[in-house]
Amino acid sequence: MVLGSGEKLSIYVDSKVFGSSVHGEMLRCGDCHSEKTGYPHDSKPFSSRRDLAVAYYEQCKSCHFANYTKTLDGVHYAVMAKGNLAAALCVDCHGSHDIRRASEPRTRISQTCSHCHAPVYQTYSASVHGKAAEEGNPDVPVCTDCHRAHDILDPRDGSLALRTPEICGRCHVNGKLMQKYGLSTKVVDTYLKDFHGMSASLQRVSKPDRRVFAAVCTDCHGVHDIQSSSDPKAHTIKANLVQTCRKCHAGATRNFPDSWLSHYEPTPHKAATVWAVQLFYTLIIPFVVGGLILQIALHLWRVVVNR
Amino acid sequence: MTEYVVRFSARQRAEHLTTMVLFTLLCLTGLPQKFYTSGWAHALIHLFGGIDRARWIHRCCGWSLGAVTAFHAAMGIAAVVQKRSHLPIAISRGDFEDAVATIRYYLGLRESGPLHDRFDYKQKFEYWALLVGNVLMVLTGIVLIYPTVLSRFLPGELVPAAKVAHSNEGLMAFLVITIWHIYNAHLNPDVFPIDTCIFTGRISRDRMMHEHPLELARLESPTEAGSRERVRAPREVA
Repeated sequence: MVLGSGEKLSIYVDSKVFGSSVHGEMLRCGDCHSEKTGYPHDSKPFSSRRDLAVAYYEQCKSCHFANYTKTLDGVHYAVMAKGNLAAALCVDCHGSHDIRRASEPRTRISQTCSHCHAPVYQTYSASVHGKAAEEGNPDVPVCTDCHRAHDILDPRDGSLALRTPEICGRCHVNGKLMQKYGLSTKVVDTYLKDFHGMSASLQRVSKPDRRVFAAVCTDCHGVHDIQSSSDPKAHTIKANLVQTCRKCHAGATRNFPDSWLSHYEPTPHKAATVWAVQLFYTLIIPFVVGGLILQIALHLWRVVVNR
Repeated sequence: MTEYVVRFSARQRAEHLTTMVLFTLLCLTGLPQKFYTSGWAHALIHLFGGIDRARWIHRCCGWSLGAVTAFHAAMGIAAVVQKRSHLPIAISRGDFEDAVATIRYYLGLRESGPLHDRFDYKQKFEYWALLVGNVLMVLTGIVLIYPTVLSRFLPGELVPAAKVAHSNEGLMAFLVITIWHIYNAHLNPDVFPIDTCIFTGRISRDRMMHEHPLELARLESPTEAGSRERVRAPREVA
């Protein structure tokens, strides 16, 4: 049938395709097309294919209420509400008559997003996570692991970047998982203890404005183009580090990257100066404060005795 | 009527007051950055209008304290160079002996404590700890404001070392002031509830006799005063 926009809409549904979809054995046509009660149908005047899809957005709600509600908090819904009808609806990711499990196989998730987000997908699939995912590695994140599936955060206002210590930390503090790849689980902790982590933590509490934010994971490691820090392309490999620092520290010179301890905890072998200063204060603070408290106690005792 | 002796000049009192205000503000804006995970730290930062504002206040106070310290040191050096003062705050061998004698007295191993001159050993050690601490805090603070400048000339690792030093030295200063100074200036039974001397500049003659008898003796004997402490003529106020 021809729609108002001149687009053709096939009203034929392959019963085999529908039958093998997840709903094949559960739903009948009228469950979703509930307004079509008789024949011939009271045909709704859809002006375009997109109008039709938007009109059917609500149909999934009656069964998938939880996920539908989540989409109302998502960036796609927000964009749609502002009038951009191209924003993804249920059927854009899941399909309509041919719905299969979205995560089977797992790589299908990122491929689904790539239908609209092709350039980002290209970058991602060349990253350390993306390459492994393509090889069928179940340990690495696909799009939805960081962005979430239904209540996708708007990445533009910085609230997602702000949460990266937590998001990346979900995997990167997992001892079992990191051991498999010879990675340290102290990355989040060492980050949080450093100036960047401390600043970002406090900024998150008081003023969620990305423009003045201290560096989070993605500022140094990259977002979709994260590479292993031994990869020559990595932003965090020694040879590229000054460039990475200069993104925020305009005057950074060759020595400057050493002011960041690369997620290491200071030891006599790594960052010995920092370790020594720390040790000095660990000893001197209890000594000085304890000594003063002792002297106060002795003085008070003397006052009592003299009375 | 109680007799009073002038102990601190207007400049010294102003220096103490400025340091007190700046130190308090520095602690209030600095310690939440060290203990950034705790609820009270968040509340304090919120009170100052966010970490960026708090950090701005911290830096302004830091620069000011640096200026006050530099001014104080310059005046002190000038006074010594022009022989107007023989630096009564300087630590000598006698102060260590006084410290041992005091502890022995507290423990009941001596009949009485040692007699003090213008500053006792506790005041001297606290003064020098504060002065050295201020210099250290200001220098490491500047490194933290301009991390790229330092690493142009020196190894980058000195930046995190400066951060560790700044953070710990700050905590130590806070603890020393809240425990030691608050005790000596407020909770000490001899002065409770508050030793007003540093604010008014005057101290009772009774307290002088008790706490600084050597200085009092010198002040009150014209020949001695003339020979040993030329500038400080005794002046009694009501």
